[in-house]
Amino acid sequence: MVKRIALAQLSSCWGCDQSLVDLHLKLLDVLPALDIVYWPAVVDYKMADLEAIPNHSIHFGFVEGSCRTKEDLHLLRLMRQKSKLLVAWGSCSAYGGVQGLGNQWELNDLLERKFLKADTITEGRIPEENLPGFTEHVTPNPDIVDFEVILPGCPPTSENTAEALTALISGKPYDLPDKTVCDQCPKERKEKKIKKFFRTHEGHIDPNKCLLDQGYLCLGFATIGLCGAQCPTVNTPCKGCFGPPPNIKDHGAKIISALGAIADMTPEELERAFPDPIGSFYFTDYASSYLSRIRGKQRSRKKK
Amino acid sequence: MTDADRTIKIAPVTRLEGHGELTIKLTKTGKVKDVQFNVSSTRFFEKFLEGRFAEEAPRIAPRICGICPEPHHLAATKAVEAAWDITPPPAAIRLRRLLINAKQFSSHALHFFALAAPDFLAGPLGDPALRNVVAIIKAMPDVGKMALEMMQFGQDLAAAVGGKAIHPVTSTPGGMLNPFSEEKRDLFLKRVENVKKQTLETVTLAKRVVQDYWDPITKLAVTPTYYLGMHNKGNLEIFDGNLRVMDPEGKVVADFRPKDYQKYYGEYVPKHSYATHIYYRPAGYPAGIWRANTLARLNVADKMATPIAQEALQEMRDALGRPIHATFAYHWARIIELVQAIEEIEDLLKDPQIVSKDTKLSDVQPKKGDGVGCVEAPRGTLIHHYWTDERGIITKANMVVATNNNIAGIEKSLMVAAKQIFEDKAHENLKLPDPMIK
Amino acid sequence: MITPKTTAPGKAVRKDKKSTFEPRIMAFCCNWCSYAGADLAGTSRMQMPPNVRIIRVNCTGRIDISFILDALYQGADGVLVSGCHPGDCHYTSGNLKMKSRFALLKRLLEEAGLEPERVHLQWASAAEGEVFAEGITNMVERIKKLGPNPVGRRI
Ligand code: SF4
Ligand code: SF4
Ligand code: SF4
Ligand code: FES
Repeated sequence: MVKRIALAQLSSCWGCDQSLVDLHLKLLDVLPALDIVYWPAVVDYKMADLEAIPNHSIHFGFVEGSCRTKEDLHLLRLMRQKSKLLVAWGSCSAYGGVQGLGNQWELNDLLERKFLKADTITEGRIPEENLPGFTEHVTPNPDIVDFEVILPGCPPTSENTAEALTALISGKPYDLPDKTVCDQCPKERKEKKIKKFFRTHEGHIDPNKCLLDQGYLCLGFATIGLCGAQCPTVNTPCKGCFGPPPNIKDHGAKIISALGAIADMTPEELERAFPDPIGSFYFTDYASSYLSRIRGKQRSRKKK
Repeated sequence: MTDADRTIKIAPVTRLEGHGELTIKLTKTGKVKDVQFNVSSTRFFEKFLEGRFAEEAPRIAPRICGICPEPHHLAATKAVEAAWDITPPPAAIRLRRLLINAKQFSSHALHFFALAAPDFLAGPLGDPALRNVVAIIKAMPDVGKMALEMMQFGQDLAAAVGGKAIHPVTSTPGGMLNPFSEEKRDLFLKRVENVKKQTLETVTLAKRVVQDYWDPITKLAVTPTYYLGMHNKGNLEIFDGNLRVMDPEGKVVADFRPKDYQKYYGEYVPKHSYATHIYYRPAGYPAGIWRANTLARLNVADKMATPIAQEALQEMRDALGRPIHATFAYHWARIIELVQAIEEIEDLLKDPQIVSKDTKLSDVQPKKGDGVGCVEAPRGTLIHHYWTDERGIITKANMVVATNNNIAGIEKSLMVAAKQIFEDKAHENLKLPDPMIK
Repeated sequence: MITPKTTAPGKAVRKDKKSTFEPRIMAFCCNWCSYAGADLAGTSRMQMPPNVRIIRVNCTGRIDISFILDALYQGADGVLVSGCHPGDCHYTSGNLKMKSRFALLKRLLEEAGLEPERVHLQWASAAEGEVFAEGITNMVERIKKLGPNPVGRRI
């Protein structure tokens, strides 16, 4: 049976979508099994088309992006209503994404920087006409509606999405692996104690050794192993863009806990090495951290 | 707005990356009152880059756009390098040029085949269900296969240099973290010849489309604006050069270094869009509305940087002159840049330096200062401007992304098109060919 | 004891609430020293505010930072971690690991806009019931000044 699929984009960079398009010729293998009922990036369907679809009639709803605007909230709820099985597609959808870093500030601060104080702006104002308005706080989609499948990644690799799609088409469950990037990494980790942390512009990275052992903050040990260790393979530290393995609730907390054990440094040295723990230990998943949730609750209480 | 006024809303605008809606306001007599391009989302990167290590900006900023992350990766790196006063080794610059050209190539191929060609091949008034790349693949398998191979080549090369197909990671202040291996270089050298051949076939296909659609191309949405683009001694350039502004009459009115952009760039905040409108500051708004993008680059450049592309440009200029204001000529312009990209890629792959191991400095020192990083993204000139403190932490960021250079121009040309369609019914008199797929 | 100075925003508390506000404190105590200390404080009937919930752990080195954050998320107004004095940890250096983590945790709270004074790390040996009790009392005082956890009451 041909399955109906819808792919919707909330506030996002469209990279998850692009990653699917990057399957190129391989797309032809899965397409015959699918009837695309909504995919504005590629097919000429409008929001009204989606609204007109009967409830629960979409077999697979893929949601990319997170709710930065009120229209995003509408589209997310609509996708839930129309879909039998909803997939949080990519780290934006699963955890809030890189834009979750904005939760460090109030919405007003964000608006001010962009629309009132940007260096090139002559007369600022906050645009409002025919526009949806912003959410006060980026809340991860799974905190707003239920999802059957979570597929993180920024973006998930083409293969990740193809694999999930193939499983879903054949009616199999899609579960996340309980592996880390280190498990997939070709570099050998000796679990050395770290005496000093280096930033990527400092020194030379030895291509044959584990980056963390060399003192570069590679987050492979605390990050779910789905991407095939793309970054460490090319001598670049993992920044954890796929989020933590499924059993870990707070990515940054996990990293901090581990650093306490592997760093042979005084607390003061450690603190000096990481003046920006949010930026260093959360990347695409700050919105789903305990602290961001606390701030989110605080913000919604204040509004009431 | 009176009751008799009519508002047409198109939401979302499809086959366009980014979140856009179109609002067209008509009076009761059918006159077009207003056309709004409502960009309905933004994520505030300018703010949340604050407080981060500057070398992380090349990791964070690509997420501004998943379709064109490479230019952001590189503009971010260049901005930090400018702020810290560092010059990366020559091999790193070659690798970065390879990366940006690979993106340029795959993006233009994708844009032509997946986003624009459906309208031309299925006809702009054809069945909406057929106006997409999937239908093209089914109806014209040869073209479809060629399109996919070309896009794949560009994406594969970008992934090989950048380390990741989407959101590259290897460029960092001071150089490239991962040298290009000889094995990889050889693999791409083997493929490049065939892809170059396909590129030339695409030129032929595009020329055919242009001939078929000569009427709408030369008559619909012809919109004079200013143009902005990068050049290197007059040659079209996408990685490192000066910026040039051309006025609607074709006169070069400014030629400046990107670091001086604030003198020439104005940013207007419309009441109806989260994307601001960038314009030529000395001329004011809206008079100074400019467009960046491929056609703009072709307008401001004296010539292309590579020989076959130059021939193609000459052919276009012979047909349409300079500057070209026809909005639909963008599709032709894109193909000319596609040719330059593949020629540059071939040259770079053949350059022995491309596999040099000396790709990164090791003694980079952060410092307090500010720096501008500028490259051309497929959709236009991109500027990242960061301020850092002594530790190399970002204290402020200003970014002028490619698309914002074009929003006002898009609106302007949509206004022209809407008037032609709703008032003059111009589309009914246009000569349109029989669609190639029905 | 260092008097904390509040750097994080959002500390404004309405006066009327403050007087009736009884902070809820979650204390993680290491089994070997501090828990015994807490016990001692209890059995010797030292004055200790009643609003503390104590969770016994093997060693402070075993405390995952997410436990502390989870406690805050669930509405704890403050979290106290009490371990053995440096050099006395039964697992050699669990407490030192905790000290390193704590430095990063505090910085993290501050950056997130939550008062870092809501978490506190102290050392107390098995014999130091009064040190433990005093730590709790100080914690309660500190949190009273800060006001309730902005997340609202849940535990
Ligand atoms: S998860 Fe990453 S790639 Fe996907 S939309 Fe979000 S930012 Fe883009
Ligand atoms: S380089 Fe990174 S991912 Fe690889 S083993 Fe080391 S820490 Fe893990
Ligand atoms: S290695 Fe880490 S940062 Fe790189 S893609 Fe994988 S999860 Fe993301
Ligand atoms: S055993 Fe008490 S802190 Fe380690």
